[in-house]
Amino acid sequence: MPRHIAALQSPINPAVPQLMHIDLNSCFAMVEQQARPLLRGRPVGVTNRKTKNACVVAASYEAKRLGVKVGMPFSEAKLLAPDMILVETDPPKYHYVYQKLVNIMKSYSPNVTMKSIDEGIINFTSTGNVNKKTLEAIGYEIKQRLKEDVGGYMTCNIGIAPNRFLAKTAAGLHKPDGLDIIDHTNLRQTLATLKLTDLTGIASRNEARLNAAGIYTALQFLDAPSDILARRVFKSVCGEDWYQRLRGWEVDDFESTVRTVGRQFVLDEWKPTEEVLRARLSYLCETTAMKLRYKGLAARGVVVYLRYANGDHWHERKIFRQPFFSNADVLTKASLVFNRRPRDDWVREMSISCYNLEPSNMDQVSLLEEVNREVWLTEAVDTINNQFGEFTITLATSLPAKGLVKQKIPFGSTRYFELLCNRA
Amino acid sequence: MENIIEINKDVSVVAYYFRNAGERLRCFPKRIEWDGKRVDFTETGLRHPTKKGQRMVHVFDMSDGNADYRIEFDAERLTWTLISIADISYAAPHSSLAIAH
Repeated sequence: MPRHIAALQSPINPAVPQLMHIDLNSCFAMVEQQARPLLRGRPVGVTNRKTKNACVVAASYEAKRLGVKVGMPFSEAKLLAPDMILVETDPPKYHYVYQKLVNIMKSYSPNVTMKSIDEGIINFTSTGNVNKKTLEAIGYEIKQRLKEDVGGYMTCNIGIAPNRFLAKTAAGLHKPDGLDIIDHTNLRQTLATLKLTDLTGIASRNEARLNAAGIYTALQFLDAPSDILARRVFKSVCGEDWYQRLRGWEVDDFESTVRTVGRQFVLDEWKPTEEVLRARLSYLCETTAMKLRYKGLAARGVVVYLRYANGDHWHERKIFRQPFFSNADVLTKASLVFNRRPRDDWVREMSISCYNLEPSNMDQVSLLEEVNREVWLTEAVDTINNQFGEFTITLATSLPAKGLVKQKIPFGSTRYFELLCNRA
Repeated sequence: MENIIEINKDVSVVAYYFRNAGERLRCFPKRIEWDGKRVDFTETGLRHPTKKGQRMVHVFDMSDGNADYRIEFDAERLTWTLISIADISYAAPHSSLAIAH
């Protein structure tokens, strides 16, 4: 069947859009510009560490206009924008803005999902009796409330559509400070203006897969039959999902479960000695254990990953019979694996992850006295650290790394945001 | 690169409180004084609460039009502290403070 006929028969979702995607523009950079008026109108980069090799985790629109991209090393960004001002991340500040945004969003619907620190979705389904305004009017009201509650420099992009994917796409159409609606009446016109890689989830590899099947534009992607996408392009159920997603049907409304908990660190020393590595490992294990307990989990497996100066990497995993959650236990288990590493080159990056997660039984009193003592000690240390700040009591082996290994701002998830802010 | 001066000193503050203002502008620290210096603020950038252990601290990012000031109000001890001053007027493109390429 010719593609244009297939397209006519495609079931595009005719429903009235009920999903609103809200995305803060260059969130961290904009919050810094809001907080510090002298940064406004200037190229600003936000980084986790103020060093030459630090990477820009957020760039202001002024910096982006000069070609600075998120993820770019600062030394490279500085070539493009010599006047760029680099500021260090300040998690409590972003957490405050995040909370304000959530409060605004929840005042319109109880069905709010935060996708990350700077973006979330309001589902307006079944709120018609409460919200008498149109979604477009509510969108402009949210923009105004953001300015009133956080500050006049704050702007956001808003997209309204029948499903999450199209709402996010709409939010990206007119940056910064845009508001766009995609529904069955303008879906084709909108997709006609987009490249394949403008679609969330289509990067160079998926683009190459689509190209191999003769699909070069977003509109051709929309017109592609479901079986071609499932069998030839994605070779999985993902193809069917894309077919539905592009037509405005919801396939992304699910919650992911926590499968691993871990930390990663790029070494701060070019030629780290054994003592330096041990201190960083200890610190990473301690913060990983904190994350586990914060989520009420215990782990039975641990993975250690190392990347070396020559580009090689090594990882090894080990499963244990008993679940563990204390700082000392995670360090002991990780050290068992870490000690088996090849020692041929300098370590550049290390990460530790715990897996095989299960609910922690810290509340369960054990028949074994030594188990109870470990639980009580961990609880006592956590209580003191909550009262007086994280790392008031810490492993002695972690001390050299304290202040050097900084918690990065989580991009994907806000699961550990409260924990991060306690520690900041 | 901007020029940040860490101060970390207790300061005297004259603050205005506006009963009918929104949460953002309810408290406006107008003037700070320390070591014989005086700064009059013209704008609140952002005010956000944070915690130091269990102590609630309100962080005010303020500006006097020439520099940005970070001051903190400790809600338990009722003290104001000037944390740092950021002055980007020194930020010439090839300033010695800039990180070398």
